[in-house]
Amino acid sequence: MQTRPPKPPPVPSLRSTGDLRERFAELEQVVGARSLAVAISDFETGTEFEFNGDRWFHAASTIKLAVLVGVYGAIHRGELLLQSRVHIRNRFLSAYDGSPYRVRGDRDANAEVHREIGRTLRVAELADSMITSSSNLATNLLLDLVGLDVLQRTLDSFGLEGIDLRRGVEDELAYQHGINNRVTAEGLVGLLRLIEEERAFSPALSRQMLDILHRQQFRSGIPAGLPREARVANKTGDISTVAHDAGLVYLPGRKPYAIAVLTEWEPTATGRSTTIAAASYLAYAALIADRADVE
Amino acid sequence: MSSSYQNAVFPLRLVDGRRLERRYRDVLLPGGTLCDHAGRARVLPRYFYEVTSWEQARATNLSRHFTVSEFIHTDVREAPALRVFPRYIPCATVLLAFALEQLREAVGTYVFIGANGGYCSPRHKGTGAASPHCWGTAANIYRIGDTYLDTPDTIRRFAALAHEVIPTVWTRPLGDQRALTDDHLHIDLGYVVSVPREAPGESYNLKLAGEPL
Repeated sequence: MQTRPPKPPPVPSLRSTGDLRERFAELEQVVGARSLAVAISDFETGTEFEFNGDRWFHAASTIKLAVLVGVYGAIHRGELLLQSRVHIRNRFLSAYDGSPYRVRGDRDANAEVHREIGRTLRVAELADSMITSSSNLATNLLLDLVGLDVLQRTLDSFGLEGIDLRRGVEDELAYQHGINNRVTAEGLVGLLRLIEEERAFSPALSRQMLDILHRQQFRSGIPAGLPREARVANKTGDISTVAHDAGLVYLPGRKPYAIAVLTEWEPTATGRSTTIAAASYLAYAALIADRADVE
Repeated sequence: MSSSYQNAVFPLRLVDGRRLERRYRDVLLPGGTLCDHAGRARVLPRYFYEVTSWEQARATNLSRHFTVSEFIHTDVREAPALRVFPRYIPCATVLLAFALEQLREAVGTYVFIGANGGYCSPRHKGTGAASPHCWGTAANIYRIGDTYLDTPDTIRRFAALAHEVIPTVWTRPLGDQRALTDDHLHIDLGYVVSVPREAPGESYNLKLAGEPL
């Protein structure tokens, strides 16, 4: 069951971005988040909006969106095939000092990949698990396979800012030494734009990535703030101090918009998903109002 | 031993790696040499069995409980020419299967060889200097029965058992550094090269035979 924001606020127009900015500032204050950032890029109106859009956050699992694009870059270059088989092994080397570490099965949202240890899965299956059920093991396997440097270079080749890929998931030693994957709301929206505009290597590969994002199982963030007819291709990220969601929103009768909502919290704070859903609603309402004004 | 296995004719074709197409020779390096960690030259196998399909690999036993498929399960790190059939395994892989059979009998349950844990060509991206995996004489065992070999205790326990039942076997030492193991049991028979009696070979040439003993 989807969580919806309790009281839909009035609909501000995006033409007065100051109003929307105030709304987000108010939301940030009311929910007690340490920080809230939102970036929106609307393909229907060409509107670009950001609220703390260039503020860096710990990426949590939203970095998997960047890994997905990097993996498809390797496919585009012919280094991998979607049907290429990958040995499932739970052993990775820390970005801090090269010491080995493992992904904890009890903390991974997807146990299926762990069950395949010793055997192989296809790149397509790992990419799907990495995004739709946020498998940490699948992510690290793909990251290992393609290589951190290669992945970051692929992202850099698009001139994207706001995506800083530095290590695998659950690399606790690197985390303790401040080596973290970081994103900005604008960076994530930039990635989503690449996919929606079919500039991520080729139209066919972009559509394949979009199909994976559409199969997302975690729907309590951006999708929960939208009407039922909305389709969302999204990727969430959630650890003790941050909760994020970034996605492409498809509404009937209009082109989609890309939105990223990044939040930072005290570890004991509650109401994270509801806040993201509320921010999603504010953006939706503003964009729809904007369209109504045009018509 | 089942009667069907006893009576079966070994179905894999023996091939001289030096007479294979170039794309296979380039990755199998038949009869070539690899340099081990100590700088010693190790001569690679020249004779291989040809595996024409996954179905054949699944249906062909190298020993009572081990099929060919368990020794050729590699991933994208294997050379492209060997990711499709026909595939090739060094003839000594049969000896490894026999050795593993001893372990299988001692533990009384399934012994699982991991992906990339059987035969890997010298061009496999995961093989280090003169890895015995390139001889088809090494196996990475990640699971025995329901026990995953990912703790020092389990690896140590089964390594001891392997030494007990396969007297000359080498097991990789425990540890989390390079060339050590902490998530599987690596066992190998060393740089064993098997030349079946029907292998073609070259004509005897006294000049090439070296000094008489």
